[in-house]
Amino acid sequence: MTSVRPKLKPEQFKAITGWETTTGDVIWMRGDGSWTKIAAELGAFAGEAAEEALAAAQADEAHVTGAYFMQVTEDGKIDGRETLRESIRANGPTCHPQFAKGGR
Amino acid sequence: MYRYDEFDHQMVEDRVAQFRGQVERRLSGEITENQFKPLRLMNGVYLQLHAYMLRICIPYGQMSSRQLHALADVARDYDKGYGHFTTRQNIQFNWVALKDIPDVLAKLAGVEMHANQTSGNCIRNTTSDQFAGAAADEIEDPRPWCEIIRQWSTFHPEFTYLPRKFKIAVTAAGSDRAAIRLHDIGLIMKANAAGETGFEVYVGGGQGRTPHVAPRIRDWVSKADLLSYLEAVMRVYNRCGRRDNKYKARIKILVAETGIETFRDQVEAEFAAQGAEEKVALPQEEIDRIGAYFAPPLFDGEGGAEAFEAAQAEDREFARWCRINLHPHKEEGYRSVTISLKPEGVPPGDATESQMRLVADLARDYSLDDVRVTHEQNLVLPHVGIGNLYTVYLALRSGGLASANAGLITDMICCPGLDYCDLANARSIPLAADIQTAFTDIQEQEDIGELKVKISGCINACGHHHVGHIGILGVDKKGEEYYQITFGGRADEKAQIGEIAGKGLRQDEVPAALKRVVERYRSVRTGKDERFIDAVERLGTDPFKEALYDAD
Ligand code: SF4
Repeated sequence: MTSVRPKLKPEQFKAITGWETTTGDVIWMRGDGSWTKIAAELGAFAGEAAEEALAAAQADEAHVTGAYFMQVTEDGKIDGRETLRESIRANGPTCHPQFAKGGR
Repeated sequence: MYRYDEFDHQMVEDRVAQFRGQVERRLSGEITENQFKPLRLMNGVYLQLHAYMLRICIPYGQMSSRQLHALADVARDYDKGYGHFTTRQNIQFNWVALKDIPDVLAKLAGVEMHANQTSGNCIRNTTSDQFAGAAADEIEDPRPWCEIIRQWSTFHPEFTYLPRKFKIAVTAAGSDRAAIRLHDIGLIMKANAAGETGFEVYVGGGQGRTPHVAPRIRDWVSKADLLSYLEAVMRVYNRCGRRDNKYKARIKILVAETGIETFRDQVEAEFAAQGAEEKVALPQEEIDRIGAYFAPPLFDGEGGAEAFEAAQAEDREFARWCRINLHPHKEEGYRSVTISLKPEGVPPGDATESQMRLVADLARDYSLDDVRVTHEQNLVLPHVGIGNLYTVYLALRSGGLASANAGLITDMICCPGLDYCDLANARSIPLAADIQTAFTDIQEQEDIGELKVKISGCINACGHHHVGHIGILGVDKKGEEYYQITFGGRADEKAQIGEIAGKGLRQDEVPAALKRVVERYRSVRTGKDERFIDAVERLGTDPFKEALYDAD
C-alpha cells in the first residue's frame, strides 16, 4: 500500500482495486474474483463478501500489489469522497489525454 | 564532467544485479510487498497512481549528450515516449513496468547513471546551481564539491538509515539559484578573511508541512574539513533526530526544537571530539583528482558577435528569447542557454524522447557536450558561443523548445499532483495550464517581468509553493479541489516562506484572481525594474491579498 485510504462502512458498496505487480497497471476485481484493467468491468461488493474479496486480493500479492477498497455505487460507478482520484486512476491522467484508459 | 572509475562501475553493476534478484523474488511471490518496498525505494522505484515510477539520479543536474540519449531510449523503449524533469534536478519515468526496471538500470549503468539514493532515508542527490562552472558570478566551480559529497555519501553505512531523507545543496555564486537555505544542509562557497575558499554552512531548511529557512550554523569551514564537519552534523542528527514521528523527523524540526545555538554547540562538540583516525581524510591530491574532471574546457572564443547582433535585429522573437533565456557566462563570447520546458499546454518539466535527443545533439555540437537540469524543471546548455546561438535557437524552435519565458510567470514549478501522485490532494498540472493560457501573451509576460509561480498538489510541497513569489497549494475540501495562495515566498539569497493569503479558491477562480494580482502589481510598481517580489518586499502582501479576492 502506498498511501492511506479512507475507511468505508461495511454496508457501503466497494470495489477492490490495486496495481498489477508485474507492470504496475491499475486493476480492479471483477464480480467473479478475476482481475481486469477496464474499470467498467469492476465488481461491486458489500458486507462480508467485500471483506472476503479484499482478503483474497491481499493474499495474492504476486499478482496484485496494494489492494484496497474504493467506494462505488451498487451498480459499480465510482462514488464518494475519492471520486476524482479513482476517476483519474480509471481514465488516465487528465493532463495527458493521449494516455487515456478505458475509464468508467 | 566526472567519469566512473572501475570501482564506480563495479558498484553500480553489482547493485543492478542485486536488484534484479530482488525483483525476481518479488514477482515470483517469494517476498511480500512489505519486504520489497524498502528495497525498491532504495533503487528509486515508487508505486504511483497509475504505475511504477522510476526516479533516476542526475548528479547535481549535469549530463552528457550520451546520457541524455540513453534517457531518451528509456522513454521510447520502456515509457510512453517522454520523461519528467524534477525539482531535484533528476528525471522520473511514470510508466515503467517493474519487470523491466532491472533492464533499464543495466542500460543506464552503461552510461554511468543509476537510481541509487533517489529515495529512502539517506543522503539524496546533491544539487547545485544549474550554471555551475559557467556562471559569471561564481567564485569557483562548485561541482567538484558536489562530486566529493556524492562519493562520500554514496552507500555511506552510517547514514543509510537516517531518521528521514536528507538533501544537500552547494553553490559558489553570489545569486542563489540553488535554493540553498531550503535544504537540510546548504553550502555557499566563499573566501575567509585570509582569502582562502571554504564553505558557509546552513542547516535545517526545508519545505513540506513545516517549512523552515535554514539558519547559518557556521560562517566558514575549510575545504579539508568539509566532510568531517558534514559528518559531525549528520551524527548529531542521526543520534537526536526523531524516529517516532515521520512528520517531525527531518533535521529542520530538530534544529528548530533544539535551537540553532544549542544545535551548533552539539555539532562543534562532535566535530572537536573526532579523533584523527575518525576525520574523513581529504588530501589535496584527491581534491585535485576530482577537480581535474571539471577543469574548464577549452573556450576558443568562437567570435560571431556581429552575426549574433544581426540575427537579433532581424528576428524579433530571437531577440526576445536572448533577452529572457540567456545567462551571462564567465567566458567572453559565451552564454548559458535556458531551454524552457514550459511551453503552453505541456506539463511543466516534461520532455519527449525527440526533444531529449534534440537537446542532446545540441549539447554535443554547441555546448561542449554538457547539459544541465535546473531545479525549476528546465534544461540548460551551459556553454554556447554567441556565434551559434541563432542556430541553436532555430533548432530548439523546430522542436517546440524555444519558449522565451525563463523566469516569467508561465515558467512555473509544478509537481505532478493528483494526475500522477498517490499522495496528492489536488491536481496541479491542469491549473498550471490554465494559468499559462491566462498569461499567454508573451509581450505581457515580458512586461510583468520575473515572477515565480510554484504549485504543489499537497503539503509535501514538491512544487516548492512555500517559496513561490506566488505559491499555490492544492487542498481537498470534502472531495473538491481548492487552491490556497501564498505571497512573498522566495528561494534566493533572501529566502523566505510565503504568507497565506486567506481562503482557498476553486480552480476556475485562480487564473482571473492571479490576473488581478498582477494588474495590482503593475499599477503599484515603481518601474519595470521593481520586480513583483521587490514590490511585495516594499509594500507587504496586503495590496496583493486584496486584489486576489476582489472579484467584483
Ligand atoms: S507535493 Fe504532494 S502531490 Fe505534489 S508530488 Fe509531492 S507528494 Fe505528490
